[in-house]
Amino acid sequence: MADEKSILDLIDTTQLSCLNENSSHTVKDILGRKTVNSAAGSYLLSDADEQLLLTITFNQSVRIRKLAIRSSEDPSKAPKSIKLLINRPSIGFEDTTDAVQELELTEDQVKEGKSVALRYVRFQSVNTLHIFIENNHGDEDETRIDAVDIIGTPFETTKDLSGLRQEED
Amino acid sequence: MPLEATMIIIDNSEYMRNGDYPPSRLEAQADAVNTVFQTKVDSNPENTVGIMTMAGKGPEVLVTHTRDLGQILKALHTVATEKIGGAINIPTAIAIAQLALKHRENKNLRQRIVVFVGSPPTDAPGSDAASLVKLAKKLKKNNVAVDIVSFGDGIEEEEEVSMEVGAEAHSASPLRKFVDNASSGDNSHLLVVQPGSTLLSDALITSPVLAADRAAGIPEELQGGGGDAGPSQGGAANDFEFGVDPSLDPELAMALRLSMQEANAREAVANPSAAGLSADQPPASSAAAPSTNAGQAAAAGAVGAGAGVAAGAAVANIDGDDEDDALLQQALALSHEEDGEDVEMDGSDEEGDEEGDEDEEDDDEDAAIARAIQMSMEEQQQEDKKGK
Repeated sequence: MADEKSILDLIDTTQLSCLNENSSHTVKDILGRKTVNSAAGSYLLSDADEQLLLTITFNQSVRIRKLAIRSSEDPSKAPKSIKLLINRPSIGFEDTTDAVQELELTEDQVKEGKSVALRYVRFQSVNTLHIFIENNHGDEDETRIDAVDIIGTPFETTKDLSGLRQEED
Repeated sequence: MPLEATMIIIDNSEYMRNGDYPPSRLEAQADAVNTVFQTKVDSNPENTVGIMTMAGKGPEVLVTHTRDLGQILKALHTVATEKIGGAINIPTAIAIAQLALKHRENKNLRQRIVVFVGSPPTDAPGSDAASLVKLAKKLKKNNVAVDIVSFGDGIEEEEEVSMEVGAEAHSASPLRKFVDNASSGDNSHLLVVQPGSTLLSDALITSPVLAADRAAGIPEELQGGGGDAGPSQGGAANDFEFGVDPSLDPELAMALRLSMQEANAREAVANPSAAGLSADQPPASSAAAPSTNAGQAAAAGAVGAGAGVAAGAAVANIDGDDEDDALLQQALALSHEEDGEDVEMDGSDEEGDEEGDEDEEDDDEDAAIARAIQMSMEEQQQEDKKGK
């Protein structure tokens, strides 16, 4: 594809949130730096049960082509069934029935963090991506995610204005 | 500063007619609701509060998210006159409160439910301990904090046992278990108010339920050392000189500290030499002071000498108990030094220097403007030439 790159640098970290995250292993640990997380000590862990609901807001509209989720530490805690939703202003676990796309990740895919192609036509104007992780491979009570990568392109019509600064005299 | 949407669930069952909390349980509860409302709304200009009942014919939302005290009072009045009756249904009420919170306008607000329980546990479906724990986990999963205020018949018998053994006791009452399971990062609390002399609203205002909101408006330096320790901890009182626990009443603590500072300042201004003497009393006064401070004291001249010694003593004294005092005196001494210098030095000289600096700046700016005009003229001329 012509312009395939990680669009993690377009994430609005102030609006980054996750439901059911463990308070000491939050989504900011893996996405707060706007790069694919590689630090061993930082990961996202679920709290009350195995489900997780990540809400990732971008600072402009994007098209999303691929998604990669890595959970290499413990295969039984790796996410399995995933539902993707877009552009919901408020979302809870009960709103996840009508997903834009549902995915089953294989153990290989999550171990290596291989990217999975999404149905590109359905992710043409994404402001907010919600990743609902329904269960994990080992039916554990905890789900662990080491890294998330989103590959796509910024929407042509909008420009990233966040980089603009007042000119120095 | 907590940014929260709060849903208050009040008990309006027949048990609320009891008079063991003066004037009656229901009115004590209304006062407490008022307190919670004011505290929440004052702590952040974006906070909203709603109110609903959980007995009567069924749980009913009276006011959705508002910042208007009138609406809350009106709802409380309606409850008092028309809606007393039936038995409570905690699980359904919490589920409805969660829905109401979900439809808050500002999605940045965190969600909190405050439940007042003045009735004994009922056998409504989902009210057993296991179901409550399940509900608590669901709330935690959805990031909803829950505070429970239990009073009157809401106080459970196992309470004292679980209090003695500590939070980790597994024989805790259903309500305590509920709160423990719903709490993530210590954001949910169970408050038990025994009948007696204390008002329900007074017990609330000094409780951890409202501690975060009440501490929000108070600057960091006035909060005292016990600020980050758990509220209502007895140990914090030892660090605080006025004999009250600052975490119990942060506003009072702030007022005490402020008035202490003011009194110190007044005293020092009125009687600087006495302050110097009192600071001089410890044996290691100026001798123990760092050499730089001793130098300063020497340079301060005849007028500032006494104050300079005080400054040295103050520095040596900082590890002692009255740190604020020492700092204040040091500051005073420094100001005296400056006075002294002003007298010795030629004041006009200094001012002249400053003016000179300003002139230079002005000159620089003028020159820069002139250059800019010149450059733009040149560019224009060049363009004109090109045009030709």
